[in-house]
Amino acid sequence: MNYMPGTASLIEDIDKKHLVLLRDGRTLIGFLRSIDQFANLVLHQTVERIHVGKKYGDIPRGIFVVRGENVVLLGEIDLEKESDTPLQQVSIEEILEEQRVEQQTKLENEKLKVQALKDRGLSIPRADTLDEY
Amino acid sequence: MFRYESLEDCPLDEDEDAFQGLGEEDEEIDQFNDDTFGSGAVDDDWQEAHERLAELEEKLPAAVSEQTGNGERDEMDLLGDHEENLAERLSKMVIENDLEDPAIMRAVQTRPVLQPQPGSLNSSIWDGSEVLRRIRGPLLAQEMPTVSVLEYALPQRPPQGPEDDRDLSERALPRRSTSPIIGSPPVRAVPIGTPPKQMAVPSFNQQILCPKPVHVRPPMPPRYPAPYGERMSPNQLCNVPNSSLLGHPFPPSVPPVLSPLQRAQLLGGAQLQPGRMSPSQFARVPGFVGSPLAAMNPKLLQGRVGQMLPPAPGFRAFFSAPPPATPPPPQQHPPGPGPLVQNLRSQAPMFRADTTHLHPQHRRLLHQRQQQNRNQHRNLNGAGDRGSHRSSHQDHLRKDPYANLMLQREKDWVAKIQMMQLQSTDPYLDDFYYQNYFQKLEKLSAAEELQGDGPKKERTKLITPQVAKLEHAYKPVQFEGSLGKLTVSSVNNPRKMIDAVVTSRSEDDETKEKQVRDKRRKTLVIIEKTYSLLLDVEDYERRYLLSLEEERPALMDERKHKICSMYDNLRGKLPGQERPSDDLFVQIMCIRKGKRMVARILPFLSTEQAADILMTTARNLPFLIKKDAQDEVLPCLLSPFSLLLYHLPSVTVTSLLQQLMNLPQSAAAPAPSNPHLTAVLQNKFGLSLLLVVLSRGEDLQSSDPATESTENNKWMQVMFMATRELLRIPQAALAKPISIPTNLVSLFSRYVDRQKLNLLETKLQLVQGIR
Repeated sequence: MNYMPGTASLIEDIDKKHLVLLRDGRTLIGFLRSIDQFANLVLHQTVERIHVGKKYGDIPRGIFVVRGENVVLLGEIDLEKESDTPLQQVSIEEILEEQRVEQQTKLENEKLKVQALKDRGLSIPRADTLDEY
Repeated sequence: MFRYESLEDCPLDEDEDAFQGLGEEDEEIDQFNDDTFGSGAVDDDWQEAHERLAELEEKLPAAVSEQTGNGERDEMDLLGDHEENLAERLSKMVIENDLEDPAIMRAVQTRPVLQPQPGSLNSSIWDGSEVLRRIRGPLLAQEMPTVSVLEYALPQRPPQGPEDDRDLSERALPRRSTSPIIGSPPVRAVPIGTPPKQMAVPSFNQQILCPKPVHVRPPMPPRYPAPYGERMSPNQLCNVPNSSLLGHPFPPSVPPVLSPLQRAQLLGGAQLQPGRMSPSQFARVPGFVGSPLAAMNPKLLQGRVGQMLPPAPGFRAFFSAPPPATPPPPQQHPPGPGPLVQNLRSQAPMFRADTTHLHPQHRRLLHQRQQQNRNQHRNLNGAGDRGSHRSSHQDHLRKDPYANLMLQREKDWVAKIQMMQLQSTDPYLDDFYYQNYFQKLEKLSAAEELQGDGPKKERTKLITPQVAKLEHAYKPVQFEGSLGKLTVSSVNNPRKMIDAVVTSRSEDDETKEKQVRDKRRKTLVIIEKTYSLLLDVEDYERRYLLSLEEERPALMDERKHKICSMYDNLRGKLPGQERPSDDLFVQIMCIRKGKRMVARILPFLSTEQAADILMTTARNLPFLIKKDAQDEVLPCLLSPFSLLLYHLPSVTVTSLLQQLMNLPQSAAAPAPSNPHLTAVLQNKFGLSLLLVVLSRGEDLQSSDPATESTENNKWMQVMFMATRELLRIPQAALAKPISIPTNLVSLFSRYVDRQKLNLLETKLQLVQGIR
């Protein structure tokens, strides 16, 4: 029924479960209910999934309206294969804790790196001080 | 002004003038306040008028009712009414109604041209008791004192208590702004979330989905008279008396305008002779209604209008999935639009693509889709023997109570926008890679079909139709009643904000670095200009195929002219005595893009010109090699050079060899070291070029024994020197050439003895197998 072959259109994806990756790194899973010409999305029964290592945790979020420009990619989820994953689901508190720990270790490593570079007289500008575009 | 409770309160030291002033004030007030003191108060009883209006209101269907707790929205509506009023007044003020600047008029006209909401009254704050009633509800709760007068004056109505359980679907929507170019989702009285009550009849073609045409008319009812039917030709439509089409404030020279639907059907239905249709017929805004079409066969049109039609030759649609019963795609008879359109573009008035209407092919697909959906729905309700896949899919949808929140109409609307975005005035320009890719694919599949007699595999291809260009002669907006001409700055008429003056710097002030930088910049600019010429020249072949017979000589002339200017750009114009310096060429060749460009230009140049380029390159090769160290782009020049070499005479080859190896003119004692040659040999490109030149020389020698002796001698001399040099070079310094010609062994065998031949062979790795 694709009347526009060779194009990407979200019309066939409506009412199906999708995984959406946003530009800020969040992963949303929900039913795609509505779209428009800018690929703004309306996600229903959305769940934000946080991945840390082999574990993940789901935070139910309800209805999401996502502005199209913030979407990196999205893909349909096969409902039959959805449970077929090596990852282990944990509770929300646990996954948030894991995420916090992960962030902390990353920050510390970064600090050590910057310090080491500084000792050698080099400096690499940090990504957040650069312009985003 | 002062308002005193009584005269006694006035300060005694007031002048008498003040009292008189007060009295005058009162008179002034009397004069202006007609309603309170003048005829308005005596003749009209606005209270009664309000009551009458209120009664009218009650009689209207309950569908038009009020909202209770939504005070904010009501105020918004109030503001909206204000704006509407203002906008209407503004639009009346503007003189030019057939405005060419849609950016301005759209902003003004957006509001008033909305579909009138059912039951909404004239939007004046004083008249609309419905509005007032809406105010009163929430205001009673909020106690806004400013409106208390109104409240007092209004006819009393029962409070709006038991309306919470009214049917939500009958709520009036807030006003939506409509997008001017592409339209917007259909404005409905029912919010989108409500499940559909009935199947929507797809008459939306005639609703706002079909966006407004480019030029703006004064507010008119958006539906064109359906009773005229779609079977009438435009000529007939023009002649219908009292047609609303004629009731326009257009100048009489402009033929009446058709509705978007009719115009699009007209475009789709126009069966014109191929090749004769030119976009100049589209160029006038309503122009296709005019005389050229009168020449058309009206029977054709009458019979065709109203059906879904294959695209006319005016639309160069590239499609390979043929719609039922169509003539072959119009690629066979190349219509005029291509080069003509490009010519039109160069003219001063602006041309925009008419993307406001959907290509008939696209619209047909949309309709087909809708019908498929409708059939599906019908069949679902009837028989139940569907394929398992589909049934599971339908099951999912049935079980999912939130499915189909997005209606089919809305999906089609999004699809329609996507289709419209595919339209362009010149697909070859806008969408080059896609068009080329699919042309290649089609050629492949055509070739495959020829080989094997399999069934024709239809590969559906995305339709990217070519729409006509419309001419817009921009006329700035003029306001009525203004002193002088007020220019409104808009997207189509930008105003100059900054007065930037270009000052040229004097040569003395600049530092050396700046001079270098400027020179490089100039070179870059030259490269860019020459590249544009090159792209045009490369495109001429395609244009040649598409053009008509008469235009071809002109095209060829243009092409020649461009080639000449390219060469001038490369070598520098106005040589003076002889070629003054290779400087410009060398500069160009120092830049990677320049090298690639020269490689592409070479096939177009004449032999002498190309030989000149080759000579210059050889002369300056060490320098170029040094500059190419980072880019390593020189090898791209090898193949055009070798092609060129096969056309060069012996003399040229000889001198070329001399240049390459930097051999002295006479056979005197050679210089102790030859850095030129060293550099050449150490570079991949240099070595390859050298070998190719040698090979060519050998070919010439062996193939044509009857050459002149002087040339022969010259060649032999040069070869001796060359071999001497080559023998001197240590092996390790040699680069690896791109390709080794096969006849070099025989070449060298003429000039050196066995031992040295072996030496040369191993050094240059001429014998295959040694690698």
